[in-house]
Amino acid sequence: MQEKVSASFRDPSGFMFKVDGLYYRQVNLAYQKDWDLFISSGLYQQLSKAKAIVAHEEMPLDMATMSEKAYKVIKPTQLGFISYPYEWCFNQYKDAAILTLSIARRALEYGMSLKDASAYNIQFLDGKPIFIDTLSFETYQEGLPWVAYKQFCQHFLAPLALMAKTDIRLGGLTRDYIDGIPLDLASKLLPKTTKLSFGLATHIHIHAKSQQKYADQKVSQKEVSGKISKQATYNLIDSLLSAVRGLDVPTISTEWTDYYQDNNYTESSFEAKRALVTDFVKQVNPKTAWDLGGNTGEFSRCASDLGIPTVSFDIDPGAVQQNYAIVKKQKEKFMLPLIMDLTNPSPSIGWHNQERDSLKDRGPVDLVMALALIHHMAIANNVPLREVARSFADFGEHLIIEFVPKQDSQVERLLSSRLDIFPDYTLEGFKQAFSEYYSILDEQPVQGSERTLFLMKRN
Amino acid sequence: MSILFSVLVKPQEYLDPGSGSLIIQIVLAAVMGAGVAIGVFWRNIKAFFTGKKASEQELDPTAIDPTEIEPEETETPAIEE
Repeated sequence: MQEKVSASFRDPSGFMFKVDGLYYRQVNLAYQKDWDLFISSGLYQQLSKAKAIVAHEEMPLDMATMSEKAYKVIKPTQLGFISYPYEWCFNQYKDAAILTLSIARRALEYGMSLKDASAYNIQFLDGKPIFIDTLSFETYQEGLPWVAYKQFCQHFLAPLALMAKTDIRLGGLTRDYIDGIPLDLASKLLPKTTKLSFGLATHIHIHAKSQQKYADQKVSQKEVSGKISKQATYNLIDSLLSAVRGLDVPTISTEWTDYYQDNNYTESSFEAKRALVTDFVKQVNPKTAWDLGGNTGEFSRCASDLGIPTVSFDIDPGAVQQNYAIVKKQKEKFMLPLIMDLTNPSPSIGWHNQERDSLKDRGPVDLVMALALIHHMAIANNVPLREVARSFADFGEHLIIEFVPKQDSQVERLLSSRLDIFPDYTLEGFKQAFSEYYSILDEQPVQGSERTLFLMKRN
Repeated sequence: MSILFSVLVKPQEYLDPGSGSLIIQIVLAAVMGAGVAIGVFWRNIKAFFTGKKASEQELDPTAIDPTEIEPEETETPAIEE
């Protein structure tokens, strides 16, 4: 069955479509000249060999969905979980920005220009960012400015600067502004001291002023033609690169990053829990897994270490950042750490509410893991156990879940500052609530704690 | 009629690059030539003293990582006795 992909409709050069669950891209005749240069110049080969852009194979042209417009049909490397910029930690975002600029720079070398610098053109594959839009290159014309400069600043530089210089939580702003953060807004939110940094002063503050000043004037590319040499474009990209490289967030020790130093486990019970989770994962033998509240990915690795593509979600940007550091250091290919507030997961956004999928629409997966999470949902956020079960059942078929009773010090801490209005929060109440949506396949006490680990299958 | 026409005829670019964003690039082109050269020079000096040099792939993710190139199939030459 053939269906169109709703995120892919803006670019006249071509579009994505899906046949029997596999993604294809139609290249339109309108893009023929640029496409031929992209391939014949060697740019495609360079970028795909460097794993900077997704590789593809050419398919028979009769697969085209709009054949009167079609020039080529290609089948790109199929991606796993699609993630969005508002779900990336700072360093994932920064690596995506560096990749985009490096591609723009490399394209110039091959006589092409990157015409689309959207953050949504980056995905994470095998632990690393990769550019996914093969139709983003056009023939470079000497003397013309970089057409995607504004877009790069809005999609990458502004959110990175806001996260690094104002508040890490401002990364979430990219969810409200699907075409990148308006530069006047970024300029307003950034501390005044950023006007002293050459990169941020020019590419954000003065850039925003320039936009304001020329807002009513139509300047076409032709009018500015001949004013910017190729070297000046290299300089512009290098200046953006150094602005991006200069931004950092300290390794934050937030809520959860200290969790394992300060919890209910001794070393041996930690190992016992790991063995138990691994055993459950092996019983399910899933194709893909989501670990909800995965922290730094300690137990998500029970799945990803077995070669199972695993997304480890956590609400804490610091924990996700630490997890990503481990992924990079150990060159892990099956782990994708992402920021997610499970009490308000990513919604569907964009045109017709169909451009970027909600978390739920990106599932279901074979296995959902929720370890040491239930008390945060049920007690800290007042979500009834039955509701938690319903939500998890939407996400995936199997569930590995840890029940954390009221006697546990973590729960005691949550209850210490509030009234205990949770009479049903007991092992029995938990089993009863979850039985509405699941069958319990296995149930094991977690050694050295009061907790119980369950393996369940959706009814 | 000509007003209507000018509204309907859109610029040819796929993205609107924005007038202000084009103008600032011209300004930066003039200013930055020297600045970037100084920056590169400074980084080289710093790298010389700190002895830190990032790998090419770390600096530029579009560089082909030599450790990850799959060996091309070559015919094993027959061993002549």
